[in-house]
Amino acid sequence: MKRTVDVSIPIGPIHPCFKEPARVKCETKGEFVLSAEVELGYMKKGIERIMRGRPWQEVMFLAERVCGICSVIHNMVFIEALEQMSAIFVPDRAALLRVIVNELDRMQSHILANFSYCYTIEHETLAMYLLDVREQVMDELERITGARVTCAYIVPGGVRFDLRHEDALHLKANLAAIEGEVVRYMHMFESGPLIALRSRGIGVLTREAALEAYAVGPTARASGMPEVDRRLRHPTYKTLGFSPVSRTEGDNYARIMVRFQEVLESIGIIRRCLDMLPEGPIRGGGIPGAGEISYSGEAPRGELSYFVKTDAAGRVLDISIQTPSIMNIEACCHYMLKGVTSLADVPSTFVSADPCIACTER
Amino acid sequence: MTGYLYEKDLSAMKYAILTSTRHDRVVRSIAEELNIPQIKLRKWMIDHFDMMLLENLPARYDQGRMARETNPPLEKKIGAALYTRAVPLISDGEMERIKKEVYALVKEGRPENDAVLAGREMIRDVILQ
Repeated sequence: MKRTVDVSIPIGPIHPCFKEPARVKCETKGEFVLSAEVELGYMKKGIERIMRGRPWQEVMFLAERVCGICSVIHNMVFIEALEQMSAIFVPDRAALLRVIVNELDRMQSHILANFSYCYTIEHETLAMYLLDVREQVMDELERITGARVTCAYIVPGGVRFDLRHEDALHLKANLAAIEGEVVRYMHMFESGPLIALRSRGIGVLTREAALEAYAVGPTARASGMPEVDRRLRHPTYKTLGFSPVSRTEGDNYARIMVRFQEVLESIGIIRRCLDMLPEGPIRGGGIPGAGEISYSGEAPRGELSYFVKTDAAGRVLDISIQTPSIMNIEACCHYMLKGVTSLADVPSTFVSADPCIACTER
Repeated sequence: MTGYLYEKDLSAMKYAILTSTRHDRVVRSIAEELNIPQIKLRKWMIDHFDMMLLENLPARYDQGRMARETNPPLEKKIGAALYTRAVPLISDGEMERIKKEVYALVKEGRPENDAVLAGREMIRDVILQ
């Protein structure tokens, strides 16, 4: 990987625009980026090793601590993997409540990612507006689950708390307000001439490159790959008439716009869930037993896979987690950053892929 | 502390990545197909791949194997795209040379399986040289 170049520029590990430490090493010719590498190892948790040998009751809490931004989906995928393995039934009401909480989590994650991008391209006004609207989503998440992050809402066979009628009404009313604001901010982003200068045609990831690096989530969908959305294969989502968002430009602009559009899509999904929510129990019971499974779900950043092996007592013998950021950061450093014509675009392109170092360094 | 954390040798971190369950499966599978000792393949990968490529190795490998199904039969068996694009063990130029030699062997009348084995041997020689 080492070559003789004009300048080798390290960006990070500590950078004001990065949420977490990572070092991007760029080999440049003038301002033109010839190649880039991302170095990790500043916050390795070794969580897979910590999980091994522990009962599932402990691992379900550890799973959502892999990532503080998308903790709900880690909880959901791990629990659904156990349910699939042990044929545990989930009541319809609980399945829809899971989707509601998961979509709220996706909304706050996407809005945070877009905040980071706007902050990186120095559009602080829009960035702060987005943080404000994210707080409203976080409030809804807290109202339903009792916590802003690491909610531990999903348990085998159901969910921890029911949705009260007044909370459902509050959620509906708040979704209307959030939708109005997100549409307004999306138009600000779409029509901002300076935003376009910093975003359009920059950090392009072609469909072929996305396929090669196995890019997932909004990063892949911005390069014309709607089929990567794992929600299309989820039994509850299938009943919701959901269709994934996709664009074809593959640049920074497309990735941010896909996230804006997905926030609106999530609002639609939550509304449909609230309309379809049947009366009934929220826990079907069931205890995970022995088995081995590889199970995937759609996290805010893309496909999240858990390989789990348990014994008869439900103790986790082996576990392996493939988080979406692994694929997306790799696609970013080896394809998007290559050919960037200004070093100022390196942090923004990196942030546009919504890299989660906590997930990557699980 | 005598040096900065970000200047230290990353071999230990890379080795930790490669020995996780999914990565180990990939390394074993490639080592078996190309008949390379696992330890040598791991060392080669640590020396030549950056951390993100190593982290993404299982996903790239699985994707490469799926894409391999659409390749022409002989290239599919050699793993032409798999070992150049998905898991870049050798360069495109080297693979072109190997493909030409394998096609030449088949033209000379060598059974296809023997030619494929010879091709894999050539890939191994390039990696281990």
